[in-house]
Amino acid sequence: MDPVTFEIIRHRLFRVVEEAVITLKNVSGSPTTNEGHDLMVSLYTASGGLLMGGVGFLHHLSSASEACKAIIRRFGASVSAGDVYLLNDPYTAALHTSDVYLIAPIHYQGERVAWSACFVHVNDIGAMNPGGFSPEARDIFHEGFSSPGLRIVQRGELCEDVLDTLLNMVRSPEMVGLDLRSMIACNHVAAERMCALLDRYGAPALAEVGNTLIEQSEQLLRQRLSELPNGRWHARQYMDVEGKPVTIQLAMTKKGDALVFDFTGSSPQLDRGVNCTRWATWGGLLAPLYPTLCNDMTWNEGILRPVSMIAPEGTVVNCVRPAPVSIATTAAVQAVNNASLLCISKMLAASPDYASEATAVWHGSHLCLYLFCRNARGDTVIGSTTETFAGSGGARWQRDGMDVGGEIPNPISRMANVETNEAMFPIRYLFRRRMRDSGGAGEFRGGTGGEYAIVPHGALEDTVGFVVSGKGVEFPMGHGLGGGYPGAPGRYVIVRGGGDGPGAPLALEEMADARQEVNWGVYSLRGKDVLYVRWNGAGGIGDPMRRAPEAVAADVREGVVSVEAARKLYGVALTPALEVDAAATQALRRGRCNGSSQRSKTMLPRTCRSCGYSEPAGNFRIVERLMRELGSVYTTGAHTLLREVRCPACGEAIDAQVAARGDPPIIDEVSQT
Amino acid sequence: MDTGFVVAVDVGGTCTDCVVFRPGEPLRIGKSLSTPPDFAHGVMDAVRSAALSMGLELEALLGETALFLHGSTVVDNALLTKEGAPTGLVTTAGFEDTLLMTRGAYGRWSGQPEEVIKHPVATDRPSPLVPRTRIFGVRERVDKNGEVLETLDEPSVEAAVGALLRQGVRAVAVCLLWSFRNPAHERRVREIIRRMDATVEVSISSEVAPVPGEYERSSTTVINAYAAGVTRAYLEELSKLLSRARYGGELLVMQGYGGLVPVAEAAKRPVGMIECGPAAGMIGARFLGDVLGDADIIAADMGGTTFKVGVISGGELDYAREPLVDRYHYIAAKLELVSIGAGGGSIVTIEPHTRRPKVGPRSAGSRPGPVCYGRGGAEPTLTDVAAIIGYMDPRTFLGGALPLDIEAARRVFEHKVARPLGMEVEEAAIGIYRIACAQLSDLVRSVTVERGLDPREFVLHAFGGSCGLFAGAFARELGIERVLIPFTASVNCAFGMVTADVVHNYAVVQPVAAPVAAESINGILQPMAEQALRQLAAEGFAPEAVRLKWAVDLRYRRQVHQVTTPLRLSGSAVSGLPVTEEAAQRLLNDFEQLYEMRYGRGSAFRAAGIELVTFRLTASGLMRRPDSRPEPSGSEDATAAQMGERAIFVESASGLRPARTYDFARLRPGNRVPGPAVVHSAITTLVVPAGQRAHMDGYRNLVLTAG
Repeated sequence: MDPVTFEIIRHRLFRVVEEAVITLKNVSGSPTTNEGHDLMVSLYTASGGLLMGGVGFLHHLSSASEACKAIIRRFGASVSAGDVYLLNDPYTAALHTSDVYLIAPIHYQGERVAWSACFVHVNDIGAMNPGGFSPEARDIFHEGFSSPGLRIVQRGELCEDVLDTLLNMVRSPEMVGLDLRSMIACNHVAAERMCALLDRYGAPALAEVGNTLIEQSEQLLRQRLSELPNGRWHARQYMDVEGKPVTIQLAMTKKGDALVFDFTGSSPQLDRGVNCTRWATWGGLLAPLYPTLCNDMTWNEGILRPVSMIAPEGTVVNCVRPAPVSIATTAAVQAVNNASLLCISKMLAASPDYASEATAVWHGSHLCLYLFCRNARGDTVIGSTTETFAGSGGARWQRDGMDVGGEIPNPISRMANVETNEAMFPIRYLFRRRMRDSGGAGEFRGGTGGEYAIVPHGALEDTVGFVVSGKGVEFPMGHGLGGGYPGAPGRYVIVRGGGDGPGAPLALEEMADARQEVNWGVYSLRGKDVLYVRWNGAGGIGDPMRRAPEAVAADVREGVVSVEAARKLYGVALTPALEVDAAATQALRRGRCNGSSQRSKTMLPRTCRSCGYSEPAGNFRIVERLMRELGSVYTTGAHTLLREVRCPACGEAIDAQVAARGDPPIIDEVSQT
Repeated sequence: MDTGFVVAVDVGGTCTDCVVFRPGEPLRIGKSLSTPPDFAHGVMDAVRSAALSMGLELEALLGETALFLHGSTVVDNALLTKEGAPTGLVTTAGFEDTLLMTRGAYGRWSGQPEEVIKHPVATDRPSPLVPRTRIFGVRERVDKNGEVLETLDEPSVEAAVGALLRQGVRAVAVCLLWSFRNPAHERRVREIIRRMDATVEVSISSEVAPVPGEYERSSTTVINAYAAGVTRAYLEELSKLLSRARYGGELLVMQGYGGLVPVAEAAKRPVGMIECGPAAGMIGARFLGDVLGDADIIAADMGGTTFKVGVISGGELDYAREPLVDRYHYIAAKLELVSIGAGGGSIVTIEPHTRRPKVGPRSAGSRPGPVCYGRGGAEPTLTDVAAIIGYMDPRTFLGGALPLDIEAARRVFEHKVARPLGMEVEEAAIGIYRIACAQLSDLVRSVTVERGLDPREFVLHAFGGSCGLFAGAFARELGIERVLIPFTASVNCAFGMVTADVVHNYAVVQPVAAPVAAESINGILQPMAEQALRQLAAEGFAPEAVRLKWAVDLRYRRQVHQVTTPLRLSGSAVSGLPVTEEAAQRLLNDFEQLYEMRYGRGSAFRAAGIELVTFRLTASGLMRRPDSRPEPSGSEDATAAQMGERAIFVESASGLRPARTYDFARLRPGNRVPGPAVVHSAITTLVVPAGQRAHMDGYRNLVLTAG
């Protein structure tokens, strides 16, 4: 096929996905879908391989592929044109029960030529806690309706009995009904547009383009991998669940043109819904791959081929039924995202050609908030306030991260306006802003997270219930790179009688002392009770003592870094007018970062970028301190350490690791051969 | 006014266009280069050029001019070049970061193409127009019902304003939470600012953008304040130049929603002027549609760098939902125009790894321009592609002022595109032409399909220098049966102004649950009608020249989509009031129909109940239109206009075939040009594909149809 026709068909395939996304957003008027963009639409080959991945939550691209394959296995020859299938069983393919896949075969002239699949986070799935994330669940049976494959539309006819059965099991049947209808419509549009494309170019041409695109993406990724150094990079993420740390341990090995992700050493599965099934981990490690290593490629099956995974069974990254998983997408999946991104970034940073693509970990942990209550009229209202999709941008090579800048696994996320949320829920915000000092310190600073506080306003009986399942509270999950610090952790706090009305507090510090940390579970606010939520900042890059003092002063004037942090983390002293005090700054930085200002264009393990000191045996100075010594926003406990790896020659930190007391340091290896 | 001229001038990025008309006389056209940053001088140049074509001095024309209509890119330009005033923002304490957070990554990916969205590590927000150090929170709070929870703390306002003034701020935007439900606090803040410094520009969000959504409202108010000084100075300079040139009438300024307002009002609300030229083009397209009996129109404008599309459906214009200007979000009543970076100057490249050909988004602009212009352009563009496949005339471009070097275009194209693709030059050029057509038709498709419209039911109006090269081909891909190249295509936006009315928009946000008694709706609408009638009367419109149109934004409760639904009334001739119970019921039915039309069957959500949110009034003062009497049609035979013969690309033959070329200026009403053929004018080129024909109608528009 000539390259021109090829390009036209490729572009049209992408447009098919875009049009289907528009339909999804239009029909589902849900805030989570529309304001938060918690969605995904993609096309799959006739046998279920990823053909054209769209934007949205990227860890779903491969899981929905597994879902297509599961439907093929289950329904075999009975799959007909006009069918739509529902699948949300995490032990078959889904990530958790409330991210429901709707999957439809695309037939042309009697032949199945492709599949379309989409998901939205439905408003409720009938789990024990409202909204889908169930902190009180102890096994999958607490987590609501789950199906390994169900025909919901048969040859174009909606199976009303099936739909009604589903809606009979959820708390807000109208909203969920609309969520499901939006996905049916979305698949319908995808099929219609695909058929128009086939009318024009024919099935063989489309198949050829599909296959070639997949081969191209595979070749491009293999080519890129072979241009990168071989090595073995590690990341360790801690999720604290009700105070107990859970470890996700990753070793990523790159050899030649292949990548292996090995999760050996990760914690055993838990009886809390943070676990990942195998496909969730697979989707989670791939998600950051697309927009980093593969941002200039078509996102399809070819990208999966050079990649493999080792995930021991019975662990938090490959749990066994009936372990609960309802929180997976904001727990272990995200920890896997973070670990994978960090390893990929370390690999990129080791190459002079690709270092500019390296980034510290973005938005390390979702701090979702599901509200359930009744408004003044008595209507039941359930939903997410969507700040968790606002995220925080990790530092980039030679550039700061974006404050409240989103996240890598979903390139098109956003949050709703305060006014939208106040109109939707009977609440009032006291404040919502960037969180000072939450961006990981570094030569290039990580983007800040944010903070907000709400109080019931116009709720029936002045009461608002909420569900939270916070991770990354004891251990920051937005890790830094090359000596950059992790972003500050998040938290949820109830302040009983915290305030409302004239003179309402504008900061947590201004509120009464009756504070209750509520990171996990189901709670309610009454009257003047305040819920304070803080979401985490992103990681920095490079030793903070390297940051240009002017940039630190600008951050202080902007209100995103405190004077104390400037002094303590950055070694920058400021005058009362918030200008740099050069002499005092020099004194504070004495003994640190004495290497050259001309630095290596790469970041290599156990090698100092400034003075070139290199010690294969790892004879670097380890400086350990309690994470909470970084500042008051690091509200971590007595087991959370910041472990800096400093150059013995010039004093520059080449790594800053998050560690639980007793865990060994992380040591990466790179071989240039 | 009846005997004077009406002069309309549109300032675009490259050219300033002028249209002059007087009842009973043909339209006159003037054109000159735009003169940034002093655009007002270019305006006078364009009027002078029109006057010249009429054999008049500038002063003689303007001395007899009754009305001067104007649209300008001055606001767009101030944002693009960051030449607005140092601006501060006053907002509700606790929410100082709203503007900078841009609702998370939204400000980063919004309006970006596929390649950029897929590469988050490389993308950033645009730098804010107001830095954090010039944003101050003041203690106050209003809730969603407009109730004051905390009164405005005036000392904190004074402190904030004092600090801003010390920082040298020349404009202040004020955006407080829920101010559109209760503007008292914002107005009070303005009074305090004025008291402290009467020379500072002040914009308050409850006047600039009285709608929900504090991020977008802040952004809009900031843009308004930022551009206020530049806009005022520009409009004052223009008024001065006009009166010096003996113009004594009123100056009306075009707005992005497609209506005109008096200059004093335009100066207060610069955000209204964003993209007002293309909006005027849409009004002109609707006027042509009225004349020709077309209610469903896709208007496509393609110049050197962008391809812009707007849609008129059932005679109704469509309004933008999440508009952006230079990547900044704003909310304003603004006609929806969607664009991509595809124009005659778009550069064609080959991706090294995949050998994939790409068109744009980089553009060679008009300088250095395409290779074939011979002005130093060294990268192949779409215009070069058109030249290689025979669509450009090497001798008559710009009336012969710019001979085209097609051989140079071939050489560069072969080296940079054809050879890397492993194709022959013509074959590769044909391929690139097809890619461009596919991109254009995809954009048109997305613009229509997103609104639940079927492009096959529309007529396509093709404007701008490059659109005629592609229109026939991409219209066929979309199944569009008729393409119109208006006689005024080259001065489309200025022409649109002389077909526009004076229009004021009013909106009141007051959520009420259905069913609503007609009486309570009347209670909301009546004061709006009175305000509008007063304003138009003050502008000299007699009641019979006034039309009020009503609409209501409704939504299903707990859903995010709102649909603006016309409120159809049959009361008074001017205002339509009062609302009857039937009309109130009809409104709900119309809403449900529109909702399903836009969001698909099955999307309606009756069970949740319906809420009326915003009441809208569009008040028009009707203006005199240009005459629209057709000339009698003559012979079909177009031989007299034939220029010659040339090999051109013919899609049905998949290659180059000999075809006739015609001179637009020599075509007469009634003439038919059978395809394959090319019609050249000094400014544009129309390709007539094989199997189609072009017909000149009585208004000298060219109409492309099958046949």
